[in-house]
Amino acid sequence: MSDEEHHFESKADAGASKTYPQQAGTIRKNGYIVIKNRPCKVVEVSTSKTGKHGHAKCHFVGIDIFNGKKLEDIVPSSHNCDVPHVNRTDYQLIDISEDGFVSLLTENGNTKDDLRLPTDDNLLSQIKDGFGEGKDLVVSVMSAMGEEQICALKDIGPKN
Amino acid sequence: MQGFSGGGDGATAELAHLQSTMSAIEAACTSIQMHLNPAAAEATILSLSRSPQPYKACQFILENSQVANARFQAAGAIRDAAIREWAFLTAEDRRSLVSFCLGFAMQHAGSPEGYVLAKVSSVAAQLLKRGWHDFSTAEKETFFHQIKQASLGIHGVHVQFIGINFLESLVSEFSPSTSSAMGLPREFHEQCRRSLELDYLKVFYCWTRDAALSVANKITESDSAVDEVKVCTAALRLILQILNWEFQCNSNGKKGVNVFSSGIRQDAGLSNRSECILVQPGPGWRDILISSRDIVWLLNLYTALRQKFSHEGFSIDCPIAVSARKLIMQYCSLTGTIFPSDNGQLQEHHLLQLLSGIIHWIDPPDLVSKQIECGKSERSLFSESPSAAGYFSDYVLVTHQILLSCLCSEMLDGCRALLAMATVTSPTMFNQLLKSIRPFGTFTLLSTLMCEVIKVLMTKAPDEETWSWEARDILLDTWTALLMPLDSAGGIVLLPPEGVDAAATLFTFIVESELKAASASAFNDDVDSDYLHTSISAMDERLSSYALIARAAIDVAIPLLTRHCTERFTRLHQGGGSLDPTETLEEVYSLLLITGHVLADEGEGETPLVPTAIQRHIADSVVPDKNPVVILCSSIVRFAEQSLNPESRSSFFSPRLMEAIIWFLARWSQTYLMSPEGSQDSSYSSKADNMHQVQSISSGQTVLRYFSEYDHGKTVLDIIVRVAIATFMSYPGEKFLQGLTCYQLLHALVRQKNICIHLVTLESWSKLAIAFANEKMLFMLNASHQKSLAQTLVLSASGFRDSESANQYVRILMGHMTAYLVEISSKNDLKRVAEQPDTILSVTCLLERLRGAASASEPRMQKSIYQMGSSILNSTLILLEVYKHESAVIYLLLKFVVEWVEGQISYLEAQETTVVIDYCMRLLQLYSSHNIGKISLSLSSSLLNDAKSEKYKDLRALLQLLASLCSKDLVDFSSDSLEAHGTSISQVVFYGLHIVTPLISLELLKYPKLCRDYFSLLSHMLEVYPEMVGQLNNEAFSHILETLQFGLHHQDSEVVNMCLRALRALASYHYKETASGKMGLGSHASSLRNPKGELQEGIFSRFLRTTLQLLLFEDYSPDLVGAAADALFPLILCEQGLYQKLGNELIERQANQTFKSRLTNALQSLTSSNQLSCTLDRMNYQRFRKNLTNFLIEVRGFLRIV
Repeated sequence: MSDEEHHFESKADAGASKTYPQQAGTIRKNGYIVIKNRPCKVVEVSTSKTGKHGHAKCHFVGIDIFNGKKLEDIVPSSHNCDVPHVNRTDYQLIDISEDGFVSLLTENGNTKDDLRLPTDDNLLSQIKDGFGEGKDLVVSVMSAMGEEQICALKDIGPKN
Repeated sequence: MQGFSGGGDGATAELAHLQSTMSAIEAACTSIQMHLNPAAAEATILSLSRSPQPYKACQFILENSQVANARFQAAGAIRDAAIREWAFLTAEDRRSLVSFCLGFAMQHAGSPEGYVLAKVSSVAAQLLKRGWHDFSTAEKETFFHQIKQASLGIHGVHVQFIGINFLESLVSEFSPSTSSAMGLPREFHEQCRRSLELDYLKVFYCWTRDAALSVANKITESDSAVDEVKVCTAALRLILQILNWEFQCNSNGKKGVNVFSSGIRQDAGLSNRSECILVQPGPGWRDILISSRDIVWLLNLYTALRQKFSHEGFSIDCPIAVSARKLIMQYCSLTGTIFPSDNGQLQEHHLLQLLSGIIHWIDPPDLVSKQIECGKSERSLFSESPSAAGYFSDYVLVTHQILLSCLCSEMLDGCRALLAMATVTSPTMFNQLLKSIRPFGTFTLLSTLMCEVIKVLMTKAPDEETWSWEARDILLDTWTALLMPLDSAGGIVLLPPEGVDAAATLFTFIVESELKAASASAFNDDVDSDYLHTSISAMDERLSSYALIARAAIDVAIPLLTRHCTERFTRLHQGGGSLDPTETLEEVYSLLLITGHVLADEGEGETPLVPTAIQRHIADSVVPDKNPVVILCSSIVRFAEQSLNPESRSSFFSPRLMEAIIWFLARWSQTYLMSPEGSQDSSYSSKADNMHQVQSISSGQTVLRYFSEYDHGKTVLDIIVRVAIATFMSYPGEKFLQGLTCYQLLHALVRQKNICIHLVTLESWSKLAIAFANEKMLFMLNASHQKSLAQTLVLSASGFRDSESANQYVRILMGHMTAYLVEISSKNDLKRVAEQPDTILSVTCLLERLRGAASASEPRMQKSIYQMGSSILNSTLILLEVYKHESAVIYLLLKFVVEWVEGQISYLEAQETTVVIDYCMRLLQLYSSHNIGKISLSLSSSLLNDAKSEKYKDLRALLQLLASLCSKDLVDFSSDSLEAHGTSISQVVFYGLHIVTPLISLELLKYPKLCRDYFSLLSHMLEVYPEMVGQLNNEAFSHILETLQFGLHHQDSEVVNMCLRALRALASYHYKETASGKMGLGSHASSLRNPKGELQEGIFSRFLRTTLQLLLFEDYSPDLVGAAADALFPLILCEQGLYQKLGNELIERQANQTFKSRLTNALQSLTSSNQLSCTLDRMNYQRFRKNLTNFLIEVRGFLRIV
């Protein structure tokens, strides 16, 4: 369990392990990639050539996994790209506080209180409604490159 | 109809009524045009055509309204009402309706609103067709006499036009493909068609021709004969339409016509060639079409028009000229029994006549193209016209352009006429045609014309739409029609010597211009990179036409290609890196494409044979080394081999060049490399060893033998494998190239057994296998390429003589992957490492490779592939847990399991089956526990959609998994039965369904593939194991029912069909069980009070209601009635009480007494006629099907409307 502990703090690290190099040609649709220093999910890959008899290059269209913005990049396909280390952890949702923070139960019984609710009304209401109905919710928190956000929630049955 | 206006007392009131109707319709028409409340206006207009007997009002509107649109709508209303009420109308009414419409059109012939008249005469035509069998011959004669008078111009030009117009509508109504619906069976249309073709078509033709003749002189002589031009154009159009008729009574009408297949044209093979329809009227048309001087007249008319137009500078593109040209082309397509069997003399004469008229459009080619290109009218073909532009100085520019465009379309039509002639004649006759008017044959003209077109094309940018593109395509089609006639099934076509020469000249020119185009385009990139990327497939069609031309002149083509190739190869070597080789590279690229097409055909899944031209061609020298084809192939293979040398690779083997090389090798090797034919011949002749025999061997066999396993085949195969390895190792990130190698080259190799036998003995092949297992470079390949490579390598194991060594080979090959995967999954810090991108990459690659290997399951390697899978079962479960958030990995994992189980399940012994089934259940449970109730949140809607479609793909994979487990009950090769081991497949699958169904929301069922998969599995399960349903718990059961209910209303009729089948199975099972005193579905079937105290109907009551509702009131495909009957019958038997009640309700609801009694009788006979009894056997099902069909015909019509 100390691994887990270590992991939460590591987001403040220098970033050596935040990203990994990977050959551009091997990055597929639905994979991850860093574009303009933002972690993105690849939604489109196409290839073209530098000159007719030149080498292939890849054209990536990615969507920022945190803010949903679209980003594009072109990389020679034998070169390396940065791929973000995307981590997801499940927590049980204990409480939603007035000031927009959530209180989460970690696996080793501590609480994690430093995560904000999403600002988008739609997402917010999906979480609040579920919680309000008294369901027992587990939230998945996605973290990459020093940012984290709730990315999914799951109903594990009514609260007893 | 009671007369148009009655005098007397009622008349005033009636007139007022008619007036008000008219003004209502007029108001509606105006408001539609102004877009004011269109819905209400439409309703008003519809109400007119829907009201009973609206004829009087309509006629009143037609005659009195000032609003043209209202008249138009009134005509439409007459049509709709008359077609609907035809059966009730008296003979007198019918006749007067037709004659009113005809008379109206003729009376108002001069009116400026042409569209109203066209509508009215088309209404007349439709009504005449509707009553074709009702009118007596005398009545028809009266109508046609009127038409004849009109079309001959007795009542003036306007009426003449109307007459022709009416005939045009009539012909198009009687032609099945253009007829309008009348709610009558197809036979009716077919009879009408036949009757018109036999009795009237020729007559119409003559009238129309006479009409055209009568006005033609006026047109050519005067400048202002506008109305005559209109008539003439219409007449030409009608003749064209008549010639377009689908003639079926070829041999004096004695040919039996199959009503139901006649919709398919026999010349369907032509459809991919441009705009060439064969005209095949029978011999009865000979005197009218051929012997008469019509063609000469038409050609003269066109020539006259041309001169006239060139004088006055207005367009040849005007409708009359276009129609005349189209008609001339149509005459070119005449063929079949219309020509007597006189060795084609009459046909030749006929075509010659046409050609001498057409030749001016296209000959001399260089002049024509120059004129089109420069638009210079000074050097116009029409020598009488010094400068067309001079007359209208204001319109100089316009005139230029118009002249340009019309010259263009004239030239294109000339090319089309050549295509038509090529389609209907043999190459020899085709060539002969021109000989009598020119010193050269038609082939020479064709070749010069095409060279000219290509010359023009070369000066254009590739994306510019020009006439030369179109002309080239038409001319290429002409060559194809000559070289590959439809009736000769792949046989060789002998060209006259002039044709061969023409083909040789043309091919030489084509190659030169392609090379020029290639080197010119070598440096433009990016701008049209998409265009280039797809170039191989896009050029394919054109290249195959080129290949046909080359094969026609194979003696010239092969040495030509060899010369070009050698020249370029040498140039590359001499350059030695100092010069920029790009232009040469591009030339080699297109040379390789052309050569590939000339030498070999596309296999399309079959093994292509050596093209006939190469096969039959007798080489001058029998020594294989001197055979031109061998020389060409060897020089390219040697060139490919040089790519293995790192130095030359870096200096000129660019990725794009390699693509062409790999493509060529793949295509070539399918035909030539180690062909079984070549090796047979070889062994045969080595036994015979007879010089005489060797000499008589054709070139094709010489080539095949040269590249057979006994000769150079093995060396070449080795080179190919080494080149393939080089594309993987030395071209990092070149996805497209590596894809070609994986999917085209290597797949093609391992598909052939005789190649596999040699592959596995090659050192280079084992080098590839070892590299695949260990080399980091190969882990960097695109993941799906790795999958394909794994599949290829495993498949090649079929080349081993015994299964032991095949299994051994697979074990060694895949051992590394399984060990690696197990190692990853058993790491202590897996949870932490797993999410690192490099780990994800490795796991993905491994899974893809395993999946590729699993998909290559063949009986011979089955054992080792089973072991491969079973050794990692636990690891996959661990990975499933660890990667629960990483949907891409999960999907791969599931796909691997699906393919592995699918390939293995039927071979497994009971013991192994139990293991696999246990594993699958654990997998399902684990997957379900991770995903049930999960909601993804994201700001980006496209990411959310992604998440949804990922879920869909996962579920589909799971359903496939269950379906392949199901198949174990049907196909089982194991030695002992499963039941002995206490495993029941049905139980397992139902349990699986129970786990999976909660994950499948109604939302997800909107994905059509998932929906089909789900319902086919569900209906299969319910049909084969209905007894299992009773044992399901309430929740699972109600979920299944809910989805069935959903499926019944799905728009995909296949899904509805499956649901109905499932219902039938359930209901009949229940009925049979309860009849023999058992439980059946027990509590599920009976009505219950649910916890909230509401009464819940039993399932059969619910479905009885739904099915009846569906059958009686909703839209569905008629194909479903059978399946619905099969479901309804047992449902009724299960719930007889409810059925009676529903029937009574239906009857009560009918207000109309007639309908009420009809419904009562129909319901009565539904369950009692045809000796239907209460047992569920095949006989009764069939009887009930019949009863239900009759029942629906009887009552559905009024139930749905009232």
